[in-house]
Amino acid sequence: MAEITFDGVTKIFGDDVRAVDDLSLHVADGEFMVLVGPSGCGKTTALRMLAGLEDITSGALSIGGTVVNNVLPKDRDVAMVFQNYALYPHMSVAQNMGFALKIRGESKAEIAKKVGDAAAILRLTEYLDRRPKALSGGQRQRVAMGRAIVRSPQAFLMDEPLSNLDAQLRVEMRLEIARIQRLLGVATVYVTHDQIEAMTMGDRVAVMRGGKLQQCDTPQDLYDHPKNDFVAGFMGSPPMNLLRVGLDSTDGDLAVVLGAQRLVIPASYATSHALPRVDGPGVVFGVRPEDVEVLDGPSADALTTRVERREALGAEILVHLSMVDADGENAIVVNDAGAVVARPMRLVAKMGPRSGVSVGDHLSVRLNPDHFHFFDADSGVSLRKTK
Amino acid sequence: MTALETNTEPRREPPSIKKPRRVGRWILFAVMMVVAVVMLYPFWVMIITSLKSEPQFLSGGGFSWLSWSGLTSVIPIGQELLSSTIVCSSSILIILCVGLPAGFAFSKLRFRMSTVVFLVIVSAMMVPLQAILMPEFVNVTRLHLTGGYAGAVLVYAALGTPFSVFLFTTYFRGVPDELIEAGIVDGLGYFGAMWRLVLPIAVPAIATVTVLQFIQIWDDLLVGLLFIQNTSERPITVGLAVLAAGRTTSIPALMAGSLISAFPAMVVYLGFQRYLVKGLTMGIDR
Repeated sequence: MAEITFDGVTKIFGDDVRAVDDLSLHVADGEFMVLVGPSGCGKTTALRMLAGLEDITSGALSIGGTVVNNVLPKDRDVAMVFQNYALYPHMSVAQNMGFALKIRGESKAEIAKKVGDAAAILRLTEYLDRRPKALSGGQRQRVAMGRAIVRSPQAFLMDEPLSNLDAQLRVEMRLEIARIQRLLGVATVYVTHDQIEAMTMGDRVAVMRGGKLQQCDTPQDLYDHPKNDFVAGFMGSPPMNLLRVGLDSTDGDLAVVLGAQRLVIPASYATSHALPRVDGPGVVFGVRPEDVEVLDGPSADALTTRVERREALGAEILVHLSMVDADGENAIVVNDAGAVVARPMRLVAKMGPRSGVSVGDHLSVRLNPDHFHFFDADSGVSLRKTK
Repeated sequence: MTALETNTEPRREPPSIKKPRRVGRWILFAVMMVVAVVMLYPFWVMIITSLKSEPQFLSGGGFSWLSWSGLTSVIPIGQELLSSTIVCSSSILIILCVGLPAGFAFSKLRFRMSTVVFLVIVSAMMVPLQAILMPEFVNVTRLHLTGGYAGAVLVYAALGTPFSVFLFTTYFRGVPDELIEAGIVDGLGYFGAMWRLVLPIAVPAIATVTVLQFIQIWDDLLVGLLFIQNTSERPITVGLAVLAAGRTTSIPALMAGSLISAFPAMVVYLGFQRYLVKGLTMGIDR
């Protein structure tokens, strides 16, 4: 078991495709680190560099304190679980699991014992003589895990191992993998594009975009204090409402301008955040759907909205709201250059399953003032001064 | 009337759709029957002719085992079958030994100019044997390899390798990269991954190359005739050609020899037919 360190690691494909750009990340011994991001963000490339399946263009990558840039995959002592499981089709489950040990030259008795122990952990004992094609998706996934476990490696590397499973099995295997990882206490780097997997499994989550690390934090810190508007929009389902707005202080209070409506910002934000001047370029204002509260009637700090769409998910309803002007028309976003963007200001709110809202209803909503987020209008960086 | 009852009336397909399909099937069946007769008729003639003595063949009637029992006195059939087997198996072994790693390299390894090199090798498939026969003969003669098996084996291997490289490359492209990467992370090198992981699942491709090359080499006359000049090492096709070219050729004996010659190729083809289809369709079970 060991810690893993990416120190300014860069990977350039061809002449100019920067798949991973100056990645610095530390995975502690026994930690479950999730790399998450959209397709093409470089998370899989980072994992493959760690496995030794891709060369490193620059930077240093170390496992257990040893720089492994030029170490062959077989000598890195890491085990990898692939997206398509990559089970050897001509071998039985037991042979698949014991293959690495056989290559290492361990005795048959030793291999049988380790395979048996791993199979017991993974509840695979009764399938040891079967070929992979005779197994279900979940069982194959467990065999792939077993192949990693029996080696007792320094680190587990997992490349979207649940993406081929159906939704229910994915939830089960999510718990199973997290359980096994905690049981074995081996440093794990887990790649996924599913932010729910990232939030539920990782001790820490590293969010990547365009080859760059955006933020690495505990799941709750990522959710509560995103460092930029990308992380804010990526983590959470449905994502955070992000509105590009102007600031106003004509009535003495600092407020964001939402079409013809004003939303007063509590005074504490002026000290905790580096908000721009009111005649500046504005900000990106963020609020989570669960912080949009529907009121029974009009209120001084409420916004008037209209229901544009409702999505019933069973346990909750997602209501898509548009900001409404005094004349009942949708408010529209005005950008810096003064050009009108023909897109109504939209908010998504989470409501209870029995909420009787319908498309076209006018609703008064209150945004929870304790959980406002402000990001720079140009760079998208959070304006929060301290975490 | 319930909803169920309203559905009890049998549904009828429009006759205009079903009838042409049935007619088409019968036409296809008839065409296949004609093709089968065309294919099998020569075998029938060979079998019938071989079961006659020379006078019976000339007179048209009768039955005799004479041409079969006396075959070994007419041509050294055992030795010629052995020669054909040696030439065939040696050539195929070389073709597989070159084609398998080359196909693996072209499909799974990244190296400079790989596509160009692959295209150059595969383009050799387009060159007909007759076009390069004389230069090859000159080269092999200069190497003093025209007497025995070696020259013919080298020529057959050179002719068959481009096809095997092409087939293995396309087959291995269908093998997921992750399978090899899993082996490499597990502790194998590239050669180990090819030998222990890819080869076992490449049986259909290996069988396809083996069968197609076996049939081609076993049935070939030209290369054997030119490159194997020792009479004690000539293959069965050359032996039969020599018999046919004789002044007093026994047609029943020739037919018997031809049947014996064709038998191994038929057995190999029928035995590996199922792999052949799979290998040529380039799929693997995943």
